[in-house]
Amino acid sequence: MAVVRTLLYLVVYPGLLFLFVYSTFCEWFDRKLYARLQNRMGPTHTGWFGLLQPIADFVKLLAKEDVVPEAADKRLFNVLPVIGLAVVSTAGLLLPVWNFDLANPGLTSFSGDIIVVLYLLSLPTLILFLAAWSSANPFSTIGGARVLTMLFGYEVPLFLAVLGPAILADSWRLAEIAAFYQAKPLLLLTNLLGFIVAVIAVQAKLERTPFDIPHAETEIVGGTFTEYSGKKLALFRLTFDIELVVSSGLLATVFLGGFPGGAVVGFLHFVIKTLFVIFLLSLLRAMTSRIRVDQVVSFAWKYLAPLAVLQLLVTILLKGLLS
Amino acid sequence: MSFQIPIGPQHPALKEPISLRMTVEGEVITDVDIRLGYNHRGMEKLAEEKSWLQNIYLVERICGICSHSHATCYVQGVEKLMELVPPKRGMSIRYLVSELERIHSHLLWLGVAGHEAGFDSFFMYTWRDREVVMDLLEMISGNRVHYAINTIGGVRRDLDAGQIAKIFEGIAVLRKRSEYYFYIGANEPSFVARIAGVGYLSKESVIALCAVGPTARASGWARDVRKEDPYAVYDEIDFEVATADSCDVLGRVVVRVKELLESYKICEQILRNLPAGDIVVKAPRKAKPGEVVSRYEAPRGENIHYIKANGTDKPERLKVRAPTLANYPATVEMLRKGFIADIPLIFAAIDPCICCAERSVTLISARSGEEKIVRFDDLRRRAIARHQNAPVKRNAVWPL
Amino acid sequence: MKIAVFLPELIRHLFKKPATVDYPFKKLAVPANFRGTPYLNPDMCIVCRACERDCPAEAIEISSVNEAEKRFKMIIHNDRCIHCAQCVDSCPTSPKAMQMDSLFEIATDDRHKLKKDWVYVRAVLKPKAAAPAPQAAGPKG
Repeated sequence: MAVVRTLLYLVVYPGLLFLFVYSTFCEWFDRKLYARLQNRMGPTHTGWFGLLQPIADFVKLLAKEDVVPEAADKRLFNVLPVIGLAVVSTAGLLLPVWNFDLANPGLTSFSGDIIVVLYLLSLPTLILFLAAWSSANPFSTIGGARVLTMLFGYEVPLFLAVLGPAILADSWRLAEIAAFYQAKPLLLLTNLLGFIVAVIAVQAKLERTPFDIPHAETEIVGGTFTEYSGKKLALFRLTFDIELVVSSGLLATVFLGGFPGGAVVGFLHFVIKTLFVIFLLSLLRAMTSRIRVDQVVSFAWKYLAPLAVLQLLVTILLKGLLS
Repeated sequence: MSFQIPIGPQHPALKEPISLRMTVEGEVITDVDIRLGYNHRGMEKLAEEKSWLQNIYLVERICGICSHSHATCYVQGVEKLMELVPPKRGMSIRYLVSELERIHSHLLWLGVAGHEAGFDSFFMYTWRDREVVMDLLEMISGNRVHYAINTIGGVRRDLDAGQIAKIFEGIAVLRKRSEYYFYIGANEPSFVARIAGVGYLSKESVIALCAVGPTARASGWARDVRKEDPYAVYDEIDFEVATADSCDVLGRVVVRVKELLESYKICEQILRNLPAGDIVVKAPRKAKPGEVVSRYEAPRGENIHYIKANGTDKPERLKVRAPTLANYPATVEMLRKGFIADIPLIFAAIDPCICCAERSVTLISARSGEEKIVRFDDLRRRAIARHQNAPVKRNAVWPL
Repeated sequence: MKIAVFLPELIRHLFKKPATVDYPFKKLAVPANFRGTPYLNPDMCIVCRACERDCPAEAIEISSVNEAEKRFKMIIHNDRCIHCAQCVDSCPTSPKAMQMDSLFEIATDDRHKLKKDWVYVRAVLKPKAAAPAPQAAGPKG
């Protein structure tokens, strides 16, 4: 039965099928919210309230012609979207939704899995750079260079901010961190500064405004995605959507107290908390304009990193006080 | 590592086709090569085949945003050739539509600047408010773009009291919104970080390169055709020329928003002092021989039309010098030493109306300096003949 | 330099109706003098041909069908028309024979479907003292 259960995790919930449906729902939520903030309508006519619009976009892209440029490195070019999708889906498996047993660490929840999730979420950046490099196009080359430059900026604050609550909870296991804060909800408030830093750093990881310089449409046409079309572009976009869900799931686990209550109640918690994080991300996206890549790095090191270190100091002091 | 990046002719940053080939090193631009002609339609030649009245509609369609500028500049010139003085009421209505067009163009530009910088919410809001102006223009002239309110000798439609009341209401709403955009544009940190210090053009460069319009006024060079060469109603209206001192894109935003606020003042003054009377004077079919240069302050700068008549009912020559053409050399200067990330903003800051500024190919013989204008069919025929006779190239090096 | 200056405005818009008109399910009304497509009132026309001469797009074509009975045919090429309404301004009769309506959703697949023609009888406007009575019966259109 363990095999069947594992298969259910992998394919249905919280595996591929669930991630696909939920990430398209989150993309709809993001687009509708963004549109309403700007006094317009957003997706309206595909399905009820436009709910089917992201799925329609995915299906449309699947049907388009798939062109591979002559000078591109064909093997890398073809295989990278699939690798990206696999990586973020694996990261999704590690979120403590219902696939864990607090007493017995298993394959989906073990000590140190917070580090594994952070690592898996950094891989898409490298994959984007490789995609840009293998495209052999000047716009993609600039996009790839920008992706790596941004990595120098937001990676450290993100890690520092996410590991802060783990230090207070005294564990490197996502399920245990969530359980710790479920037992003592007031301690969540001490992590507020870290939460703000983490939200801004996640916005940079997901390459959304104000940090969407690597695929800035008005400057370098498509950045890393310039040469991708058809099925590969569909898979890349799905990768980004799933990365949105997984990152907000990670933030919800660490900063908002996880998803207690088993399969059904846990699912409700998951939906509400991730939608709250996505609400904050969309608000940030509507509120600002795009900044240049050197400004991203200087902003990250001048403001985000010191604030994350400050939060770490507060956490350590609090830990000393509590014990 | 220095290589060339082509921006255009097709690029998401451009609304119309133009080719800017940038030589870059890393993220810094070292040189720019501007190539025009992708949108050339042969309007100056076509204008010689149509009568004075039909040319108003032709000239209006040189551009969509500054359509009234071209039509008015042309009609001013023709009225001077035919020695007509339109009645005061007609002139007031004509220049009221000019100021409304300036408002519409600057609101459009604010949105475009926001979109190029990635500030999409700003873009959506300014374009939503632009609908107020478009509805007013539709009410006055019958169409949202290409107002066609000019005719030789005056205007075609009159304003009644109900329309005047609606215009006052619309201006009040827009004034509040423009002040809010001024506040946002100058205070939103990410937006200001993008536009401050970008696209620097010193006052000496402006004078040397003959930049016009808000591009020049943002460097402190206060030239405005409405003040220096006041035509029609402008000598009786109290307004100021908007300038800024920061010589960069932020200065240009500030200048355009200040011009918006000045335009509201001008519109209200025109409406309050609207004289009664006729709106048009009858115009003859033929113009006496002569030539005239007509200047007009379009939203983008100084627009010049040169018209030559030879006594018939068709012009002999019409030459259009749109303001964007005068700003191209200044653009090259601004783009040097800038970052790639700033290209769309710098280029959008001159408010390019590329279709206004199209030119065709002139071949200049290097030895004798003699100029020859070659028809496109001839060029094509010569290219095909040459290709058929040339040997096959092996290992051709493709320029980017 | 303030942080999040835009935020109050954005949140306020979450609770307002969108400014978008859900065209084509809902339509906006056009104002009174909107320039749509031109059409002819054959009863008033005196065939002065001013509209044909002044049209910038050569969209009006007047040809004679029967010289003896003074019958003329006018074709308005709506695929060439630029909707400038110069024909209305040039028309010397009052009330005007050329007028503009408010139709603007005239797109179709075939340009030849956009041409409209009238066959009519020339009417004499002002009967002078010694002039004969107006010729022939009502217009055909």
